[in-house]
Amino acid sequence: MVAEPKIVAFLCNWCAYAGADLAGVSRIGYPPNIRVIRVMCSGRVDPAFIIRAFETGADGVLVGGCHPGTCHYVSGNLEAEKRMENTKKLLKLIGLGPERLRLEWISASEGGKFAQVVTEFTEELRKMGPNPLKAKAKMEAPINTKQAISEAVKKTNVQYCLECGKCSGSCPISKVNDAFSPRRVVERSLLGFEERVLSGTDLWTCLTCFLCTERCPSDVRFPEFVRACRPMASVELKEELCAHRGIPMALSRMMLNPKIKQDRMGWLPEGAEISKRGDMLYFVGCIPYFDVIFEDFNLELLKIPQSVVKILNNVGIKPALLSNEKCCGHDMLWTGDLENFEKLAKKNVADFKRARATRIVTACPECYRTLKKDYAEVLGNFDFEVLHISELLSELVDKGELKFDAGFSKKVVYHDPCRLGRHMGVYEPPRKVITSIPGVGLLEMGRNRENAICCGVSSFMSCNKYSKEVRMDRLREAKATGADLLVTTCPKCQIHWRCLTTEKPPIDPEIVTMEMRDFSVLVAEAMR
Amino acid sequence: MKANESVLVIGGGIAGMQASLDLANRGSKVYLVEKTPSIGGRMAQLDKTFPTMDCSICILAPKMIECLRHPNITLLTYSELQSVKGSAGNFRVEVLKKPRFIDENKCTGCGECAQYCPTEVPNEFDMNLGIRKAIYIPFPQAVPLKYTIDEENCIKCRLCQKICKAGAVDFDQKPETVNLKVGAIIVATGFELFDAGRIREYGYGKYRDVLTSLEFERLLSASGPIGGHLLRLSDGCVPRRIAFIQCVGSRSLKGGVQFCSSSCCVYATKEAILVREHHPECEVYIFYNELKVFGKGFQDFVKRAQNEWGVKYIRALPGEVVEDPKTHSLIIWYEDTKENMTKNTEIDLVVLCPALVPRIANKELAGILGLELDKYGFFKPRDVLYTPVDTNVPGIFICGYCQGPKDIPESVAQASGAAARAAEVIALSSSGGVR
Amino acid sequence: MESKEEAPRIGVFICHCGINIGGVVNVPEVVEYSKTLLGVVYAEDNLYTCSSEGISKIKEGIAKHNLNRVIVASCTPRTHEPLFRAACEEAGVNKYLFEMANIRDQCSWAHMHEPEKATEKAKDLVRMAVAKARLLKPLEEPEIDVAPSALIVGGGVSSMTAALCLANQGFKVHIVEREPELGGMLRHLHKLYPSMEDASQGLSQIVNSVNSNKSIDVLTSTVVKEVKGFIGNFEVTVERMNGETTNFGVGTIIVATGAANFEPVGMYGYGEYDNVITQLQLEQLLKNGRLEKPEKVVMIQCVGAREEKGRTYCSRICCMTALKNAMHIKELSPDTDVYILFRDLQTYGTHHEDWHRRAQDKGIKFIKYVLEKPPQVAQREDGKITINVYHALLGEEVKISSDLLVLSTPLIPQEGAKELSQLLKVPVGPDGFFFEAHVKLRPIDFATDGIYVCGTAHSPKDVAESVSQAFGVASRAAIPMAVKRLRVEAITATVDESVCSGCGTCVKLCPYGAIQKDEKGVAKVTSVVCKGCGTCAASCPERAITMRHFTDEQVRAQALAALGRVYA
Repeated sequence: MVAEPKIVAFLCNWCAYAGADLAGVSRIGYPPNIRVIRVMCSGRVDPAFIIRAFETGADGVLVGGCHPGTCHYVSGNLEAEKRMENTKKLLKLIGLGPERLRLEWISASEGGKFAQVVTEFTEELRKMGPNPLKAKAKMEAPINTKQAISEAVKKTNVQYCLECGKCSGSCPISKVNDAFSPRRVVERSLLGFEERVLSGTDLWTCLTCFLCTERCPSDVRFPEFVRACRPMASVELKEELCAHRGIPMALSRMMLNPKIKQDRMGWLPEGAEISKRGDMLYFVGCIPYFDVIFEDFNLELLKIPQSVVKILNNVGIKPALLSNEKCCGHDMLWTGDLENFEKLAKKNVADFKRARATRIVTACPECYRTLKKDYAEVLGNFDFEVLHISELLSELVDKGELKFDAGFSKKVVYHDPCRLGRHMGVYEPPRKVITSIPGVGLLEMGRNRENAICCGVSSFMSCNKYSKEVRMDRLREAKATGADLLVTTCPKCQIHWRCLTTEKPPIDPEIVTMEMRDFSVLVAEAMR
Repeated sequence: MKANESVLVIGGGIAGMQASLDLANRGSKVYLVEKTPSIGGRMAQLDKTFPTMDCSICILAPKMIECLRHPNITLLTYSELQSVKGSAGNFRVEVLKKPRFIDENKCTGCGECAQYCPTEVPNEFDMNLGIRKAIYIPFPQAVPLKYTIDEENCIKCRLCQKICKAGAVDFDQKPETVNLKVGAIIVATGFELFDAGRIREYGYGKYRDVLTSLEFERLLSASGPIGGHLLRLSDGCVPRRIAFIQCVGSRSLKGGVQFCSSSCCVYATKEAILVREHHPECEVYIFYNELKVFGKGFQDFVKRAQNEWGVKYIRALPGEVVEDPKTHSLIIWYEDTKENMTKNTEIDLVVLCPALVPRIANKELAGILGLELDKYGFFKPRDVLYTPVDTNVPGIFICGYCQGPKDIPESVAQASGAAARAAEVIALSSSGGVR
Repeated sequence: MESKEEAPRIGVFICHCGINIGGVVNVPEVVEYSKTLLGVVYAEDNLYTCSSEGISKIKEGIAKHNLNRVIVASCTPRTHEPLFRAACEEAGVNKYLFEMANIRDQCSWAHMHEPEKATEKAKDLVRMAVAKARLLKPLEEPEIDVAPSALIVGGGVSSMTAALCLANQGFKVHIVEREPELGGMLRHLHKLYPSMEDASQGLSQIVNSVNSNKSIDVLTSTVVKEVKGFIGNFEVTVERMNGETTNFGVGTIIVATGAANFEPVGMYGYGEYDNVITQLQLEQLLKNGRLEKPEKVVMIQCVGAREEKGRTYCSRICCMTALKNAMHIKELSPDTDVYILFRDLQTYGTHHEDWHRRAQDKGIKFIKYVLEKPPQVAQREDGKITINVYHALLGEEVKISSDLLVLSTPLIPQEGAKELSQLLKVPVGPDGFFFEAHVKLRPIDFATDGIYVCGTAHSPKDVAESVSQAFGVASRAAIPMAVKRLRVEAITATVDESVCSGCGTCVKLCPYGAIQKDEKGVAKVTSVVCKGCGTCAASCPERAITMRHFTDEQVRAQALAALGRVYA
């Protein structure tokens, strides 16, 4: 007996909802699989609602609004239309299929249409089959927070804090928001005020950029402590503070389900040489999803994986690619979802083994750190060599084997991403490669290498007005070097900076539209 | 076997000199070996000493002269220990006298040679902030007051040889090995400074106006590179706001040393008072973590600095020192931990108080003498409580900073202590008894 | 040499010092000028007077021209005066018949661009030196014997360490301890940091060594009653418990009387509430195994120390004592919560900082409070002590209810320290601890020769530091005793008894206690102790005191000569 599909519907108050009422008044029947949520306007419908609905097991989602031109709020429905297009792309990537999401214009007088839409949709969904992501109800075991925090304190050297304040004096957030002080969080934890720590926003304000740890004389690894506390923190607060409505992480969680088969290879260009199995595996990361979610930023993010494959092919490597590659789990690990992180890690490792890979190369610092460092820690053993693309290329530069057909006379300033730089100590390889491109002049910001300032957001959690100041400050610093291009190896950094262009009124347009390039894209351009 | 009644003292700083004088004054013969061309050590580099604010060289010079003139003390300056054989009561020691290329018997210290020498070299005594010539004395009150030719930098123009009326320049001088028989050995090699450049966020080496405390001390000294006038090295202006940053590289579990150097809080207070004395309009801030006021007179000294001299103490270790690109002032970022606010402040000159660490050369010396070093590189006392100046080798004693962080009075008292223990060895050995 | 009242025959030797002097001052002119001065029978110039050549010339000059006074006009006397004095002695002229004119450091070097003025000044300086030299008298340096024995007042670890060291060097030692047994503070301590060894372990070892040492005479239950004399020759009278007195002579005296503990009566509920104790009392509990496993222990630092007025000093050892005891409690009872309320944590040096980190490892909680907002303490009905402390680094009040409150109190000057200081005529400082000769370079000497101080009598410190100082005084005291005879300064004061009115001004002023009124009520100088500063001479209303080598006449002559007035 096949389970009946469940449809979650968002209907606008003035048109679609009224239309549904009319169907009832007129006694026009339709399948009972639908559950309606009234909203004032279809423009209210956040893609996050849709993604969460699917994550939680909805088989289909229906969004109903007014016919174009008749929206009670003028153009809300047009916004809804744009969003739905975008969301459908995500659904395609994740493998659920865009057909499970329907946007319909239903007027208040179209009771019949409503019933028809529902009937058709239900039937389609029956044919499509159930959403593989049916969630099971779970009981969370209560955590002994006092003990857990005490363990976290020991593991991260928090007990050695001298309360000197050097952390707060270094923290980019603390400089613009003096209510935030890593030192005070530590002191409260040591004194037994755990509840205040776990229920406060401080835990989520930390960028986990490790600048404080870099300078702390007692080697207190504050971001690691924060990370250890986050699983015990208030979930409601976490939801509230999460930027972009938690969509990226919801997608990552969805990937866990074995029944999900993503459709994520569309970026691969013609003629690219890849294979299913191979010694060297290229781990792409969530770029295909970011490309959709942030398509307004015009960052051409898909060029990154395209460039990487091109580079690898140029140096004679035919990388293995995972067609159903799962998110590395970085954001889950750093926002306290340890259970799912471990699951993702295990799945990825199984995939790596199946692909017969021994070496993994990635172009994303977050994936790099997570695979190289955190997988080994959490799983106990991890027999793969993990390289960042810059390390691989830097070795080739040393051997004299990296050839460029073309260069460009551009002045480039390099930004050290936190996860590649301070987290993993990789400072020189990207610089070595950049300076070997003919014509490229490499400029440095004053705050570089281990003193580099975080792009301003981490794991989508800490996006707020202070984060904006930090981001603007960094971009101004980059601009002040006189460089034509800001180059970094982290797609997230680019996203966070470009997000500033969505500010209304626009802030400092010259700064926020500074030309940016990903490292791999820059290198590939020089390779022809 | 009748013991030798001489003692070898390694290190010519205040501790080495005190130990030497105590032993010499009681009739024992002392060989005082010093690596640099003059005895005096760190105290000679200081302008004033806390808490009395005595002029350092003024109270030190008479002791230096005493060492020079004492019939029982043989100074072996510009010399290093090569090897040691034997045991307590009977050590056979080889000391290498490095060639000064000056006949010490003829040189009168008149200084004409240096006036004509064409080669300028950074002056180590002034922490490389001033210059000296390739033929030089390290500082005007040097003992012995004999010139030395720095072989590495000398261009062999021989102008000095032509000029010297006493005919003291001798380019044929060779290193000389001095063989000595001593009954006991005392090690007093002092300290060096932790490289403040390793704490990159404070900009040492990057910004001209970020200095170490010893460099600042030389600037403040009337006999220093700028004659004691308080000026910024970058633009020659008088600084209006000066900040001291404590604990640079100290009390660190990474990127530094774990111990506390014990005297920095008070010597920073001293330097702060000196600034306020010279320039009452200059604001002075001391950024600290724990104020170490445990010594005799320290707390009162700090209170005076606050109440009488207006030195401001801020409980914070700064996160970073950066330069304002427009004004070229330095900006210090810090969390004022008492006010719970992260702030920044504009400063004209930053003085870093780095950790005072055991000399790297201690390792080699320990190897020659067979001594154990503790995990920080200090010479290890045999028993921290009851025999603090003894070592694992009978007959060899330690005193001063090389035994552990301490200030001048503690070094002086401990040096006398080492002298007493050395005297015991000689007394026992010569009376034939062995303990 | 006898002081013949013969006419002065002064020889003046002017130095070129290369070009240091000669390049600025017209030396030949000064030589010619010198010859015109009253009393001068010979004058010459030398290139480098301090060279062996120059020294020979002085001796030659003395012999050839029968000189009985010598003047060298060259650099500062602080460098070469002893050298030139020795040359005079070797040539048969008493060293106190020698005078210098500083025409380099204080003339040619200071006036490099004004050679004429420098030359005039050099002439003036020589004239001044000649004026004094005419009035110089030969002086003798008397020698005194030094008894090879020491008195150590106090019988704690400092005293015993110094005693053993001195005994090993061959000297006799008398230890006078007022308690019935040796050991001092060490008897009351339980464990010692950094090793956490039992205090009794080291104590019994050292007490046995002392008791079995034939050179050390231990007098317990005994106090010092009177001390007379001076270095090398002290006469000590001690009183035993039964009232009988004994006399003996020693060459040197060491003060090692230790310190006392401050009882914080009325502070933080001490003496009022139950379970409020001092660190020393805590150690007794720990020593006797009588500390029941408390749930919470709070320690407050700086109780009665680092105050605005009164005991303004930091007692150095309390932070480590608190850490030591806190760690001990944690060892016995790992679940006990220990709070240390501090102002500035004095964990200086290597071992102490190590301990601090270990305490952090054990979860001991540190809360910083400030002098302006001290903790508030009260006792609840159920016996628990509530402590409200303003956490200065969090900016908020923290409330703790504790089973035990331990107060860290400072060491204070020992009972009877003031009386002893008057007995020995050595000073105590503003905080009541004994005051050394020079804070930096003579930390364990008293200004009075032959008397030394070590251990907590000097200032609060721990065992290791006390032992270090104890070895130090063993060296200092051994110096005069080892050389057996001391040459005493010739430059001393002397009182004309016929003129002295007995007003006592000089007695009060002398920093070394070198002048005392004798049985006749007249001031008398103990030359051995006199340092020659001249304060007494300048203050005497009757002009009864002569300061040798710096007599009123001599100094006056120099001053007038500076202005061109020379009297025959």
